[in-house]
Amino acid sequence: MGWIQRKWKPEQAERWSKEDYIVFIISPLIYILLAVGVLLSLLLLWYGFLILAVCGILIGVMIWIIDPKLKAVSKDYEKKEKQYLEDLEKITRWEE
Amino acid sequence: MVTFSFLDWFWVGAFIVLMIICGVLFYRLGKRSLSDFFLAGRGLPWWLPASSVYATHSATDTPIWVSGVIYQHGLRGIWYTFFSAWCAISAFASTKIFRRSLAYTQAEWQTLRFSGLGAELLRGWIAGWQVFMNMFVLGWVGMAMGKLCHYLFNWPNWLGLILFSSLCAFYVLTAGYWGVVMADFQQGVIAFSVMVIVSFWGIAAAGGPQEIMAKLESLGQSWRLNPFAFTGLTSGEFPLVWFLTMMVIAVIGGFGMGTSIDWYPEAQRIQSAKTVRDASYSIWAGSALIVVRNSLWAVAILAFFTLFPRIQSTAQYEMAWYRVGFEFLPVGMVGFFFAAIVAIHISTISSHLNLGASYATRDLYHHYFRPKATDKELVWVGRISTLILLLGSFVYGLMMKEITQWLIFALWIMAAGIWLPSILQVVWWRFNSWGYLSSWIANLGLSWLIVWVLPEFHVIPVLPDYLQFWIMMVLGALIYIPITFMTPPEDMDRLVKYYVMSMPLGWWKPVRREAERKGLLKIREKAAEER
Repeated sequence: MGWIQRKWKPEQAERWSKEDYIVFIISPLIYILLAVGVLLSLLLLWYGFLILAVCGILIGVMIWIIDPKLKAVSKDYEKKEKQYLEDLEKITRWEE
Repeated sequence: MVTFSFLDWFWVGAFIVLMIICGVLFYRLGKRSLSDFFLAGRGLPWWLPASSVYATHSATDTPIWVSGVIYQHGLRGIWYTFFSAWCAISAFASTKIFRRSLAYTQAEWQTLRFSGLGAELLRGWIAGWQVFMNMFVLGWVGMAMGKLCHYLFNWPNWLGLILFSSLCAFYVLTAGYWGVVMADFQQGVIAFSVMVIVSFWGIAAAGGPQEIMAKLESLGQSWRLNPFAFTGLTSGEFPLVWFLTMMVIAVIGGFGMGTSIDWYPEAQRIQSAKTVRDASYSIWAGSALIVVRNSLWAVAILAFFTLFPRIQSTAQYEMAWYRVGFEFLPVGMVGFFFAAIVAIHISTISSHLNLGASYATRDLYHHYFRPKATDKELVWVGRISTLILLLGSFVYGLMMKEITQWLIFALWIMAAGIWLPSILQVVWWRFNSWGYLSSWIANLGLSWLIVWVLPEFHVIPVLPDYLQFWIMMVLGALIYIPITFMTPPEDMDRLVKYYVMSMPLGWWKPVRREAERKGLLKIREKAAEER
């Protein structure tokens, strides 16, 4: 999985990349599998448990892909947040 | 009517006392500032807003309407409850963008993304609409509690509506969002545990999974076991195109802000998270739990169907999941079940009270009337707004009758005309405030015309749900797209500020180029490198 970037500089992490687009596909798929997997598992159907197992693996893959990027974005953003909060009041004030 | 033993009342009493203590404990934190009263100081770890997302969207009316669609459609009805799947993409797209904007509310975000008079009109409109909408939600959720108490204790509907909403208003008034989110965590844990117990109990009461499947087969209803049992491509009660339409609405909607009415409470949870990462995980995990919850309910309701397969009245089969709990749980556990219902009820009520008050305070009072108001004054305005919302919700609640039809309309159809514009405002730089405002106005007229008025006067037939959605989307676009191109783009300086702060996704090339020309992105990147 060398084509998945796992070390991010903050300025790189802010740009939308293939890691985000992959997660946009995996994440809804997980929800669909989760809904169907729980339904069928409660009915004790073997493929329900199989679907849930696939779902668990996909959750792990999703976090593995996106977590380093989210960490980099958050770390960088927290440093600027105070200044941005001051700007927020100026930008949104009705009198301006 | 259900008879409660001493132990049952003990559970209910203990739970209510716990709630009130929660409000008192966080009183000091809630009153510190506006940010504390409405966003818990923007410092929460992901699992707290996540539990709040889950608890808020598990309300007294939710099992009623999930019972309605599952009893009617079998397991394929699960897709009606799948609207929360917008969070699957949103958690990693619009949630990140919104968290970085730092807007207190979605209405405030409009004045960051757009500029001038159009932005101000949008902010006022969305704030006013949210105050109304929260009152409306409080009304229908409160009425569901009224109906349930009528079923349980034969109380008049108004008593259940007023009693429990007023109890939770106590800790919302004192501790604001701190009280809401802390109580939501506790309520979420209790409610989820009880949901698991009741659903398993219901399945066991119907004889277990094998017996449920055998009974369905003997009734000639095996199709109910298939979550993908479509009635045709475009025909029947549950055609494939309706399923695909719901998937598009739910999943693609995650790129926008406001594509679902649930966005607004989620927006508050997003801003209350400590970091962008916490915000993303909170929205994703909270909604994943909702997806699991719906499936837990669905199988228990299917079990109920095998026990009582011939109920015709919607009002009666909508009570399926509650009946599973109240008719099959042993004495002593019934009170625990009712305490959990009180938990899911007041977690929703408290969230919408605080949310509606945040729009009234931050976007209406502070923005338009008293821009120089102190934090202390604003916290008090927040409390007064909470009280007004509570009283207004009683009036709405007493006006509502049937829940399932209202919710299908509110959750899937009512937002049709603003679904695409709510995405465009996030992903397309050229979409302007006039385009978005006109889409709202057009949608208000179109949704009522297409769904209620024209069919009522036989001008058009009653259209299937999927056709209503696509027709309203296309008709709306015929209005707001020309308006967008006939009016000037947003002020480039404002767009650049917004872009640099939020780093949105989609078609922003001219804005990005301008930000680079001004050296703003380079400065950011250089600063990041120096760190």
